[in-house]
Amino acid sequence: MKKIIIQGVTIIALFISIWFTLTQINWLTIFKVQKITDNTEQKIGELFWEIFQKTEKENTNPFVVASVDSIVTKICSSNNIDRELIKIHILDKDDINAFALPNGYLIVYSGLILNSDNQEEMIGVVCHEIAHIQLNHVMKKLLKEVGLSVLISMTTGNGSSENIRETAKMLSSSAFDRNLEKEADIKAVDYLVKAKINPEPFANFLYKISEMENDATKYLTWISNHPESKERAEYIIEYSKGKKIKYESILAIGTWDKMKEKLRE
Amino acid sequence: MKNATKFIYEPGEHESEKASNSYLMSLIALIAGLPLPIINLIATLIFYLGNRKGTFFVRWHCTQALLSQLSMLFINSFGFWWTVSIIFTDDTISDKYIAYMIAALIFNLAEFIATIYTAIQTRKGIHVEWWFYGNLTNLICKA
Repeated sequence: MKKIIIQGVTIIALFISIWFTLTQINWLTIFKVQKITDNTEQKIGELFWEIFQKTEKENTNPFVVASVDSIVTKICSSNNIDRELIKIHILDKDDINAFALPNGYLIVYSGLILNSDNQEEMIGVVCHEIAHIQLNHVMKKLLKEVGLSVLISMTTGNGSSENIRETAKMLSSSAFDRNLEKEADIKAVDYLVKAKINPEPFANFLYKISEMENDATKYLTWISNHPESKERAEYIIEYSKGKKIKYESILAIGTWDKMKEKLRE
Repeated sequence: MKNATKFIYEPGEHESEKASNSYLMSLIALIAGLPLPIINLIATLIFYLGNRKGTFFVRWHCTQALLSQLSMLFINSFGFWWTVSIIFTDDTISDKYIAYMIAALIFNLAEFIATIYTAIQTRKGIHVEWWFYGNLTNLICKA
């Protein structure tokens, strides 16, 4: 009996040691998995962005674009994020919304900027979306919601355009799961602090919007798909406590006001 | 991993054929039900149940075939569900996963070769006891 147990354990140990030894090899590089994944993400990102480009109106006002660009550049340079990776676009829409698409596309609705009392509120939301991009939440969500096979069929031209449109809309109008949202919030606070931007207005924005939730929620897309705004505001405040930093603004007050004016035009 | 030993009696032609078939059964089912690791186990189990009351030589080899399939079931099921979770959930392909699949392939291949070899030998009436599985079968299967 003892002999059988020893032999059985030996077989299990043999399997585990073969597995462990093989784990030391970088298979993902050998099979070019990362390259394939990156290509898929790139193609899907382009496909989705094309849909928004066709259905919504992009704001290309040079002043607005330059202002938003300088915000993103500052966040990226303070946090060692590759600026080339984030492709920000502003769409003229009243909804208070911002969302990330695969391949680093970050879409901000003009409604979000116009409803932000100060630049820090809007930057907080932008940081939250950059965090989703950096933490690879977008692809994770897509894999969970639609599966790898559907994603690959989309990139190879076999996916129906209706399906692609629905998936793109889903990304713009639904939140990630609770843990991913919290992870992105915390990361956003880190980004803000490193860029010397006060994270408190970001929390205030959530408070403010949660109060508005009882009113007409027609335009509150970003909040209605990001539940428990109050709770989020609380842990953002809690997390940013004790970070004694002299906060600065990215845009001059005049620039921020002028940008809003241009958006209203 | 395999020892050809003398069985307690000389098996007859009919017995050798049935004993050999128990291994063939798992091979055929393995090919037929490749994506689902449970199918070859079910096939071997049905064959085992059908020959439960057979002669000792037949019973012994049916048991050894069944036991070997059972251990492969654990390895293959784990790999199967891991693959399913990669396709349908947010789980992603990792070095660990590829290494596991290669290790599982090595074990399946070794088992496949051993099964073919044993099927041939038992057909000739030669008794083959596998390392570990042979001892385990001796423990379970009594004359």
